[in-house]
Parts: sequence; C-alpha cells; structure tokens
Amino acid sequence: MFLTLRLLSNRHPSFIARTVFVKNNNVDDASRLVNRILGKEGILEQYRLTRYYEKPYQTRRRVNHERCKAIYNEDMERKIQFVLRKNRHDPFPGCS
Amino acid sequence: MLSAIRNTLRVPVTSVARLFQTSVPQASDKFDHKRIPQDDEGVQGEKIVDLDSVIKTKQNLFPTLESDNLLFDGTLYKDLPICNIRVTHNNTIFTMTDAGGTVKAIRSCGMEGFKNTKKGTNIAAQTTAIALATKVLDRGVKTVRVRVKGLGPGRLAAIKGLQMGGLQIVSITDNTHVSWNPPRARKARRL
Repeated sequence: MFLTLRLLSNRHPSFIARTVFVKNNNVDDASRLVNRILGKEGILEQYRLTRYYEKPYQTRRRVNHERCKAIYNEDMERKIQFVLRKNRHDPFPGCS
Repeated sequence: MLSAIRNTLRVPVTSVARLFQTSVPQASDKFDHKRIPQDDEGVQGEKIVDLDSVIKTKQNLFPTLESDNLLFDGTLYKDLPICNIRVTHNNTIFTMTDAGGTVKAIRSCGMEGFKNTKKGTNIAAQTTAIALATKVLDRGVKTVRVRVKGLGPGRLAAIKGLQMGGLQIVSITDNTHVSWNPPRARKARRL
C-alpha cells in the first residue's frame, strides 16, 4: 500500500530504486554491484554524456562509431566462436 | 599510344583497390578520448562484476515490499538515519540526516583541512568519512543507510571510510540525478 503510494508519488523513490543491501559487512561487493547495475542500465553513460554539451556533429560521429564497433564486435565474436568450436568434424584440421 | 594511356590509368586504379580494405573498420584514435572513464571515478566493477552469477548466488540483496519493515539493530529500515554523500570531481560532502531528512551533521573534505585539488582525492574522502563516523558514533548513531550522489574519486572511498570509522552500513543507494532529456549542458571543455 505505502509502496504503491511511494511509487506513484516519485518515479525514483530512494531506498527502493538503485538500492543494494550490504551482506556480511561486505561494503565493497555491494558498491561494486551498484556500480555494475548502473553501468549496465546505461545510467553512468548518460550521466557522463550530459556533463557537457555535445554538438550534433559529435553525436553523429559517436553514434556512427558505436554502430561500426557493434558490427565489428559481432563479426569478431562469430569468428572466435567458429575457431573455438568444440565438436569439429575433423578434430585436427590440417594435421592429417 | 592508346594502350600506353590505358596502362597509366590502370596502375593507380589497382593501387587504390589494394588500399581499400573491407575487413576491419578502422576506429579513429582521435574520437573517444573524453568518453573513456578516468582512472578513479569510484565506479570500480562497472564492467567486471558478473551480474547473473551474483543474483543467482545471493538472495535478499534488493529491497522488496517488506524491506521497509525489516529490523536492523532494533530499528525499522525506514527509520534508520541516512548518510548522504555528494561526490564530485572536486569535493566530497557528507550529510548525516535522520529518517525524516533533518540534518544532524555535515562534514566535507574542505572542512577537514584538505584544500584545492586535494579535496577531490579518495584519501580526503576516506579521512573525512572516518571523522564523520567517529563524530556520529559519539551521538549514538551506529547503523546507517548510505545514499550516494554523483561520480568522483571519493565515491568508493567514502563508503569504505564510513565502515572503517565504525558505522554499520545496511544498504547502499545511488541517487545520482540523470536525465534523458536534459536542458542544454555547459559547453564542452577544451583540452
């Protein structure tokens, strides 16, 4: 009940959103986990991007660069998987 | 005559064809030197920690419907005092408040005797945190929840320092204000 009210009144209610409990007094792990979650959600990236104004040409360049990188990474990942695949027809190609 | 012209034309064409690479898109080195996070922004583990395994192994890491009414050191979670930490590149400011938000103690790296660029270091943040923790422990506050705002070298060190000072930290919350349609930011730095 109170939770729904809090969620309705505030989209980012503190101590519910972006919160991690500390287990066994291990503060390091907890803060790392928070950082990891923020990084994965793109919150830190957005924070860093909006510190200074990014001119439109810079945005275009950044986006294009990200696209190129994504394509390259995908291809490279596939190549690596292909080379590292386990169940080959000929287990030692080129060695017969 | 014609064949001689053809030959002269051909040579540059072939050499161009050799220069043209289709395999690897070249990333320009100039581009993202500003985008790379600096050495210490207090965001260790941003890209390392394996989230899936962590979530699988441990339970009760994240707040739920009942977490407001959990007991920590004899106090309800929602009634625990809060330690707000404002982290910037140039300073770290600690504010102890009770659950309602009334300020009980303020400490910053500048107040602790660090001046100018030294304010923004992790060592400054840690010493300030220890000083605040001892000050607050005298007043009888032992268990706190931590709310961090901003990125900076003091981010991780501040939380560590609070623990080293003797405070029991129940939870860590990030409260960094991030907008996806922000007003125009200040102009870019020229390095």
